[in-house]
Amino acid sequence: MNGIGALTDSYGHLAGRRLEEWNAAYEKVENYFHALRVRNKALLGQLVLRVLERAAHRAPVEPERSATQLAAEEMDRIVIEWFAEVLQEPPANADQMLSTRGRLALLLADMPGRWQEQFLRPGPWPEEFISAMRETYLRAGPDFQLSKMTPRPFDLGPITTLTNLGKLPYLKMVLAWTLFALLLVAIFILTH
Amino acid sequence: MSGVSPSAPASSQSPPLRVMAAPRIERHGWRLFIFYSSAFLLTGLVSMLFADLLWRKGWSASRTVLLVLFVILFLFIAIGCMHGLYGFVLRMFGDDRCITRLKEYRGQSIAGISTAIVFPVYNEDVVRVCEGLRATYESLEKTGQLERFDFFILSDSTNPDKWIEEERYWYDLVHELDALGRIHYRRRLNNENRKSGNVRDFLNAWGRRYRYFMVCDADSVMRGKTLVDLVKLMETHPTVGLIQTVPATVNAESLFGRIQQFANRLYAPLFIAGLNYWALDLGNYWGHNAIIRTEPFMQFCDLPQLPGRKPFGGQILSHDFVEAALMLRENWEVWFAYDLEGSYEEAPQAMIENAQRERRWCQGNLQHGLVLFAKGLRGVSRLHLILGICGYLAGPLWLAFLLTFNWICWFHKHTGLSDITVQAFTRYLSSFSGTAHALLIFIICMVVIMLPKALALIDLSYDSERRRAFGGLARATTGVFCETIFSTLHAPLLMLWHTRFVVTNLLGVSVGWWPQKRAAGGTTWTYAIRRHWGHTLFGLVWGAFMWWLGPSLFWWFTPMLAGMILSIPLSVFTSRRSLGAQARKLGLFLTPEEIAPPPELVALRANMKVHEITEDTSPRRPHTGLAEAVLDPYVNAIHVSLLREKQLNPVYAEQLAGMGVGSPQVRALGEKLLAAGPDKLTPAERLLVMADERTMVWLYHEAWLRQSLAPWWKASIREYSRQDES
Repeated sequence: MNGIGALTDSYGHLAGRRLEEWNAAYEKVENYFHALRVRNKALLGQLVLRVLERAAHRAPVEPERSATQLAAEEMDRIVIEWFAEVLQEPPANADQMLSTRGRLALLLADMPGRWQEQFLRPGPWPEEFISAMRETYLRAGPDFQLSKMTPRPFDLGPITTLTNLGKLPYLKMVLAWTLFALLLVAIFILTH
Repeated sequence: MSGVSPSAPASSQSPPLRVMAAPRIERHGWRLFIFYSSAFLLTGLVSMLFADLLWRKGWSASRTVLLVLFVILFLFIAIGCMHGLYGFVLRMFGDDRCITRLKEYRGQSIAGISTAIVFPVYNEDVVRVCEGLRATYESLEKTGQLERFDFFILSDSTNPDKWIEEERYWYDLVHELDALGRIHYRRRLNNENRKSGNVRDFLNAWGRRYRYFMVCDADSVMRGKTLVDLVKLMETHPTVGLIQTVPATVNAESLFGRIQQFANRLYAPLFIAGLNYWALDLGNYWGHNAIIRTEPFMQFCDLPQLPGRKPFGGQILSHDFVEAALMLRENWEVWFAYDLEGSYEEAPQAMIENAQRERRWCQGNLQHGLVLFAKGLRGVSRLHLILGICGYLAGPLWLAFLLTFNWICWFHKHTGLSDITVQAFTRYLSSFSGTAHALLIFIICMVVIMLPKALALIDLSYDSERRRAFGGLARATTGVFCETIFSTLHAPLLMLWHTRFVVTNLLGVSVGWWPQKRAAGGTTWTYAIRRHWGHTLFGLVWGAFMWWLGPSLFWWFTPMLAGMILSIPLSVFTSRRSLGAQARKLGLFLTPEEIAPPPELVALRANMKVHEITEDTSPRRPHTGLAEAVLDPYVNAIHVSLLREKQLNPVYAEQLAGMGVGSPQVRALGEKLLAAGPDKLTPAERLLVMADERTMVWLYHEAWLRQSLAPWWKASIREYSRQDES
């Protein structure tokens, strides 16, 4: 709280940006942590301010970027760095796939239910939390055991020849007229 | 929660399947002979009476047509009646020729036997599917044999919202049941060959891990003990390839649904016992709630394409009968386990939904007309196929019979011929007048139609436990009476529907593959008018014509005409839950599962109620699934993980590559999605984007970090955050 407050430079401004801009940035970061199911308001506020503080420190040297942009980038960076640390992935390999693995680990370890206070906290973490994060993987199915079913065509005898008649052009029309003619003959026979 | 290391080998190629066809056991077909001889004998006798009647009124060409139609139609009802009659006798005196009584199987060990329980789904109600699976899973857990079974949700859903919903509910289910590694989820990349293709895809990927697999429908529920019993039965009988249970219809709430459910529960035991009498080990498969021996199925039951064009050629739509026929062709036995309880399914809740299902089945059954000629099939398989086809041909034949009869009456009136009745050639009927003769035939027909219902009641009266389960004999009798009135009104509509389905199918008009509407929401008046105006008009015109022909004739046709003319209110009222509940309050159409619901159904209903109360039922914004898959950190992670897992299967990897997954074009579509919103992409493009794991990860990142997004995304982020808060 103090960190970001100290960056107030003039009336209505913070780190060279208007307060409304920081408000939008706050909302963006809060929405993101909300989506991660960080529901404890105290923790949520703390995490958002930590992100904004880092964004505010970058703000004076990157005047062309909006507060929201800076905050979003910092939010992503903080989370990825933390995933790399917890999952023991080298930061050099920290890519978007690490984010996926990290989010999945959070879900499987039940961070929203059991470990909210550990989220984004620097280590050391409880052993149970660490093992839950590192050792669980989501598998939708067991190992594949591939084989290939092969159909054996039916031997329909002469019927196969008949089915080929369907490919003839105008067959439907010829059939329809034949049926109509037969109907007329039937009516004639029945009425005479 | 358990997990599997990603470094574990994820796929292996199995050696080619090698299952020998079982040696052909020659059967003495005396049961088949006696059964069908009875039906033919009855048909012959009554047809002779009918022919005599026609003779007495003066023979003509149109009367020949009428007689031929009568013989065919009477044979259908005689076969139905024989099923009821034989079933009744067997239930009264017992039948040892039943798979559950051939050998002692309960002591059979199933240690080390693996069985997969698969739920193929296609854009279904995800909550219902998952809760049905949960009820089955929990019931199985109580048997202590859970570790011998794996569950698979095999999705063929094409709706992106359903796809994501399925993934989300699947995860919730495994999380709540601690069943990761026990309940699996797989979505196919294409819908080739529909349900049979879906199951085949499962078998190609995992089939060889399991000695048996059980196919469930999206609305199936199975009792754990029944599942274990089925595996034990298969282990006890190594020559059996498939055992079909007889699912009890349950959970109906509308009046229509409850009537159908009551009829199913009361009459089906007789009919199936009758069916088992002649089918024995040459039974049939109904597509779900059945256990199948994997190896022979994989080797012999893959369905070929039929030659020629639609409606007969191409992909086999009603796969179940054909798969059973292929199993029997290789001398594997197929049985009905008709006395095993604990197998359930749901049925359509309104007449129109029921007709929609009938339409799909009609096309599939008519296609069997071509399969009939396949060389090598067993005669009994051909009989099963013929009975299926006849179920749908009966409608147009009845209509043709009635129209021919009307033609004869009209011709008689038009020509002014005198009505002289000559002597009957059947000596005993000489004293009967023409009218009395006609009345006798009518009474015989009614007896043949009604006899199974009466026998079902007699059967019930002899079994005190079952009698109580139906609410007592008096209530069951009233139920049968009311059900008979309803089915009398419903039958002419089925006749018109089936006629239309058969004609449109023969003209090559194919049916779409729509998921079934199973909820008892009720038919609206507008919808009923749209669907039934033709029936009403047909009934009115026909009624007026009959009246003009002669009021006495008209009154004989009133039950049929009433069904047509009253089709709109009949359809609306019978679809209502309130009337279903009212009937229940009056003690009408009670079934054993309503009076004393088994634990698995109690659990299902309770869980469905929780969803009903707690879940937001307001209509969701379009593309909610896509928004969730991109914006929800966890849903996105699950989705991407499942996509990544697909790459481990070379078949899926090839399909994904074929779709263009991983190409710059998909990334460009992702860019368009963010910049312009999902409406600017075609449904196929949206599905393609959602099938690309890298694009989905990138979209997640960009949607949360980027500032310039389409308004749709900004609104989704706002709504998403609020929704999560609530």
